[in-house]
Amino acid sequence: MTEQLAPSVEELARVDELTTRFPEVVTPDTRKGYEGYIVRPENLIEVATYIRDEMGYDFLANLCGVDYLPENKMEVVYNVFRTTGGRGLTFKVQTPRDSSSVPSLTPVYPGADFQERETWDLLGIRFEGHPDLRRILMWEGFNGHPLRKDWREPFFEEEGKPFKSRWPEGHVYRIEDKNPFANNVAYPEGFDPDQWEPENDARLYESLRRSVKELYSDLDTEIIMVNMGPQHPSTHGVFRIAVALDGETVLALKPVMGYLHRNHEKIGERNTFLQNMPFTDRLDYLSSMSNNFGYALAVEKLMGVKPPERAEYLRVIMAELTRISNHIFAIGMFLNDLGAYFTPALYAIEERELILDIFEAVSGSRMMCNYFRFGGVARDLPEGVYDKIYKLVYDRLPRRIDELDLYLTNNEIVRSRTEGVGVLTPEQAIAFSEAGPVLRASGVPYDIRRADPYSIYDRFDFDVAVRYHGDTYDRYLIRIDEMRQSIRILQQAVRDLPEGPIQEGKPQYQVRVPAGEAYGRVEGPKGELGYYVVSNGKPNPWRYHVRAPSFINLNAYETMCVGNKIADVVAILGSIDIVLGETDR
Amino acid sequence: MDVALWIEWIIKALILVLGLLTGFAYLTYMERKFLARFQNRYGPNRAGPFGLLQPVADGVKLIFKEELIPAQADKLIFMAAPIITTVPALIILGVLPFGGVVNIMGREVPLSIAGNLNVGVLYIAAITSISVYGIVLAGWSSNNKYATMGGIRSSAQMISYELALALSFVGPIMLAGSLSLADIVEEQMRIGWFIIYQPIGFVIFLIAALAEINRAPFDMPEAEQELTAGYHVEYSGMKFALFMMTEYIKMIVVSAIAATLFLGGYHLPFVTDQPWGVWLGPFILIGKIILLLWGIIWVRATLPRVRYDQLMAMGWKVLLPIALFNVFLTSVIMVLFPNWFSH
Repeated sequence: MTEQLAPSVEELARVDELTTRFPEVVTPDTRKGYEGYIVRPENLIEVATYIRDEMGYDFLANLCGVDYLPENKMEVVYNVFRTTGGRGLTFKVQTPRDSSSVPSLTPVYPGADFQERETWDLLGIRFEGHPDLRRILMWEGFNGHPLRKDWREPFFEEEGKPFKSRWPEGHVYRIEDKNPFANNVAYPEGFDPDQWEPENDARLYESLRRSVKELYSDLDTEIIMVNMGPQHPSTHGVFRIAVALDGETVLALKPVMGYLHRNHEKIGERNTFLQNMPFTDRLDYLSSMSNNFGYALAVEKLMGVKPPERAEYLRVIMAELTRISNHIFAIGMFLNDLGAYFTPALYAIEERELILDIFEAVSGSRMMCNYFRFGGVARDLPEGVYDKIYKLVYDRLPRRIDELDLYLTNNEIVRSRTEGVGVLTPEQAIAFSEAGPVLRASGVPYDIRRADPYSIYDRFDFDVAVRYHGDTYDRYLIRIDEMRQSIRILQQAVRDLPEGPIQEGKPQYQVRVPAGEAYGRVEGPKGELGYYVVSNGKPNPWRYHVRAPSFINLNAYETMCVGNKIADVVAILGSIDIVLGETDR
Repeated sequence: MDVALWIEWIIKALILVLGLLTGFAYLTYMERKFLARFQNRYGPNRAGPFGLLQPVADGVKLIFKEELIPAQADKLIFMAAPIITTVPALIILGVLPFGGVVNIMGREVPLSIAGNLNVGVLYIAAITSISVYGIVLAGWSSNNKYATMGGIRSSAQMISYELALALSFVGPIMLAGSLSLADIVEEQMRIGWFIIYQPIGFVIFLIAALAEINRAPFDMPEAEQELTAGYHVEYSGMKFALFMMTEYIKMIVVSAIAATLFLGGYHLPFVTDQPWGVWLGPFILIGKIILLLWGIIWVRATLPRVRYDQLMAMGWKVLLPIALFNVFLTSVIMVLFPNWFSH
């Protein structure tokens, strides 16, 4: 990625713009390997408004906190982009560790909502002025903030892998075996389990009640609070939607997640860089190849390596196949959410199986592919697989996508159920940091493959799919459009696939990653999938943050649902297309 | 009233109820098998040859399941609701003629229990409405929000569609000039099946019947995607099986009614007129029922569910006016051309 490391003319001009406009307040980040600006917390809102309105960075892609324990400070990192395309801008605020507090950016970027809640939850940075600062992934009443470097899990063994117990002596034991009574579980000061009373979601219901703005009926009615989930057939996993209903009409809605939370990021910080590669598969388990891609890009940015030609092509082929398999599955399950009894879903799964066959052939696994390596891919195509891919992308998939389109798109019930339902305007979509199909269905032609090309996407001829109504129907249509565009990319990539090595240098178990930070992002099937990685030169990442599109796309869920019927809540969720492995991390 | 008549009735009633129960069991098998083929799968194929014992296995499983009653439920109503739903479904077909009159051991036996009941169609309309009580009570007594919403939806839905359904009965009644189902079938044997004269009525009947029996795409009360299982979400074991039984028996029942009112009942041209044709009556009717059932299953495999408010809008704003217009049209034609329909 050498061309990306060199500052462009535009970028040099930008340096002047921010620092001259806000002297003293904004200073460039001069740490080695770091980029962007450090903003004084008191002036954050002012600077962010300027960045959004005057400089045009209207899309807050990523917001995350980093705990710099040795320097005794917390840092909040903001990655903003222009929806018209181009490279992004990074700015940061720093705050002391023991009383971390930063002004909330929700007035400027409403999409900061969930990400700030997540940062508060996991790192304990308080965002002043946030309208609803509750925990989001952990439960209320959890003691501490797990991503802080001094927070240790109950069976803490060591800061970083490989653990001494497993390697190199070869004498394997688990820390649990040595500590059967779990007596290193830390309880908060003065905690008495017998006196403890669960909070019972009081804050959730209070927040839900606060969001009820008006009743739609002039009759004297009572609001019904319904909890859809966590065990519910159509929430796509253990996802919970707390809804306030007036009859069948939704008055307010709060997504509740974290039932599948395993603190991916903390585990990621314990892992070595390469150990995180298979671990990213578990995020959005339907599209593991794309997850690998984003992480590989972020770490390659830090390492300054570039994969060879053939590896780049293989990466693109796998990422686009993943997109098709994800979208076709999403459409099938979306029809299921509309009440079509599994027929479209099963026909969709048939095609997905053929793609998974290819993944199995190249990576050894159908879903948890673990195929990408830093500076290349793990294996070359086995014999016969090229022909399989060729037949699939030139013959079978285009045909089956057309067939799906023919049978579903103009179905009377599908149209009446989805048209005009869950409308999101372009302004709202950008403000809520929606990404991927949700953003493009609202009329914003923002596709990272075109807006800020990575890998070799600038070589392919394809169109950015865009639809303009922003309703559920368009979010369905855009997936069909995107599959067609992916087919176009695949056809070119398969045609031009060069011979050559698939890995830059020798394959390594322990890569050397220079200190610094990097934000790598790809256009995943569900939206912008970003990885913010901070290295301090050690074998383990100091910070490993995932910008999960399924999680952030839920920002707009309430806005889409309010005023619609309870049946639409399910349809809209299906049209956002979330995977709980990624939402909860 | 002689004893032989009593025995005849009891035997016929037993045959009917047992037939319906077996029919229910094998209808689930048929549905699963057909759905599977529609969806590129095999369907049940482990229990017995071609999976034919699957319904038996299901039945045994359901009998041995633990029956849970929620602590907050109204126990009496909770227990009564499945029965209130099931019994009407079983007794509707009492007025349906399965064939003409046959001669068994010197006795003239009509192949129906009360086929020539002179208010047969009214009886059907009345009895079908009773099961909605069971569903509403089940939803309410479960003390569960999903179940309550399912129950409310179903009562609204059934009442709305009952009207269109009953109005679609009016066409055949006017053509036959009788409320007796036996007369309706005989009239069809004379002037041809009523589907020819009542195509609009037939379509309205099919749509309203789907809504009436809560089948896709109108399966609002048990909409899995929103209400998990709707009114029977708290039921388990045999009580749950009774609800399923009702749903499937009602599928058979509406198919039988559709076949009788519009498709000539047990009549098949060139076959029923033969001397042995009268014995084939029940089989012809069953054939027609299976065809209609297949159509119902096909619809379920194909269509997504409509939304509740759209369903109500369609019932009141589309189906009811068309049904009324159909009645109006039929009467105008019958008055203008009285010679076509002489009774």
